[in-house]
Amino acid sequence: MHHAYIDKFAYQDSAIHRLDGRIKFLVVLVFTAVVISLPRTSPAILACYAVGPFAVLVWAGIPLGFAVKHILVISPFVLVLALSCPLYDKTPVTVLFGPVTWRTSLGWMRCFTILGKFVVTMLALIALVSTTRFNDLLAGLQKLALPRLLVIQLGFLYRYIFLLIDRAHHLLRAKAGRKLRNLGVKTELRLAAAMLGSLLIRSIDSAGRVNIAMQARGFDGNWRTISKLQIRPADLLFAAVAACFLLALHFLIRPVLR
Amino acid sequence: MHMANELLSVPVAAGTLAIAGAGLGLVCRKARQIIASDKLALMGVLGAFVFAAQMVNFQLPAMPGTSGHIVGAVLLAIILGPHAAAIVMSSVVIIQCLIFQDGGLLALGCNLINMALVPTYLGWFLYKTVTAGRPGSGRIYLGAMLACVIALEAGALLVPIQAGLSGVLVVPFSHFLVTMLGVHLLVGLIEGLITLAVLGYLQQVRPDIVAGHLPGKVRLSRKALLATLAVFTVIVAVGLSLIASGLPDGLEWSYAERPDQPDFKPIVTNEDSKVAAVDDFQAKYSLMPDYSIRPSKLGRAPSQRSETTAGWTSFAGVVGSALTMAVIWLTARILSRRRPLNA
Repeated sequence: MHHAYIDKFAYQDSAIHRLDGRIKFLVVLVFTAVVISLPRTSPAILACYAVGPFAVLVWAGIPLGFAVKHILVISPFVLVLALSCPLYDKTPVTVLFGPVTWRTSLGWMRCFTILGKFVVTMLALIALVSTTRFNDLLAGLQKLALPRLLVIQLGFLYRYIFLLIDRAHHLLRAKAGRKLRNLGVKTELRLAAAMLGSLLIRSIDSAGRVNIAMQARGFDGNWRTISKLQIRPADLLFAAVAACFLLALHFLIRPVLR
Repeated sequence: MHMANELLSVPVAAGTLAIAGAGLGLVCRKARQIIASDKLALMGVLGAFVFAAQMVNFQLPAMPGTSGHIVGAVLLAIILGPHAAAIVMSSVVIIQCLIFQDGGLLALGCNLINMALVPTYLGWFLYKTVTAGRPGSGRIYLGAMLACVIALEAGALLVPIQAGLSGVLVVPFSHFLVTMLGVHLLVGLIEGLITLAVLGYLQQVRPDIVAGHLPGKVRLSRKALLATLAVFTVIVAVGLSLIASGLPDGLEWSYAERPDQPDFKPIVTNEDSKVAAVDDFQAKYSLMPDYSIRPSKLGRAPSQRSETTAGWTSFAGVVGSALTMAVIWLTARILSRRRPLNA
């Protein structure tokens, strides 16, 4: 199951991993906003922006194959929308790209830009998630005024998600072992309902046990962590480098590439 | 369906993030008063349940080879009440964004509104309205069905609206809208059927879970199933015929009248000069001189020199970036080889 290993690299250690979650989150947010607001018909400059997340991924020791594979997994919706651009915008343009020249339509340029932006922003998001442990990210988000109830909710959710996905897989495997042919709409529906229902009942039951266990250990609805969030010089340096990168691209490279 | 970063402009993204944030803040405040601390674990685990439940695929009726899965918003709203369900669904959407990268960081506000806040509250409201009083099993059936279909359609309706407001839509608004609504009509139908089936199962096996929220008996009979499918067939048929009559117009309109259609300005992108660039090419006016309109169309050759340089600049930009990445990769590689020696 590919999802179960999405953030497996967050538990490695590197200079990037040790940075404060808040700084990384804010940098990725600003970076995404900047990339999204780039002009919609020039894919060339996106390559320059891709250098940033690429550098972070490489320095943090995240295998690039993992990032690429993951981007492919999540791309279908964007792919459909991007590929519909050439159908609707057939304004002809001639693209000059170094030694090669070819004729195409504005829709294709737009398609490439959408895909390029998708890849670049997703690289940034993957860089954030696979270099930050989710609990640290949550603690950081709480400092950034995310409501406490939501932080607790997200913490619980993250704690149990892979457990329940495993459970669902057990159910599916059991079904696959017993169901050998298509059973018709009504039976299929009833089967799915029974699986979902039993999954729901088991979830509710285990939530009850979790609750008892947590109350026995003094849980009163407050989430206490021992992680001390501190902005260190390295964090400020990272923020400064990121700011320089974005500003340099904006003021130096963008006017040239226009 | 998750909204993507690429379909939004920054102001719309910021606006929806602000709205979603404010809404979520309100919901959390409200929920804090209602929800006891012993329900916190339940909500968290049910959030995880939504993920796990989405793994459980089943064959779709009348469409062999495709399979569907539950979205869960209305089921949770019926079992947990709207506030808790809204928080659970919001957390699901946030995790989908942060851990699974479904939908981008900027689109998070839109996704929270479309997939968490609107479906849970609207679904709960519809379900409660239809099943008020002492309803029979027919009204519960109708209530849950309507809640699922309308709640999901409302969420789907918001996607093209947000994309349209952003002005990123290349696909004509009407086409996008019809596609989204059409797809989600089907999604809503499946969601309704499966929600009802799960509610029925729960009522049989663990009536205590649904005790307060399911006033009558839920049964998914063959008759009800056939009636639902018949109603949906009629809706789809009517919808299709409406679209079929409207489609050629829409297409023609989007091609022929685009430049002077104020509605279509966003399609050509926000930069007005690009509209001009489409009509009469001027390499120096264009925001992207590296892509130029075919000169033969206008019968005059643009200054070849500026065009070529522009082409080379973008080439240099891409190649330079690739080289930088290669250097970064090599450096990291060399450093990581050395690390064991230093340590």
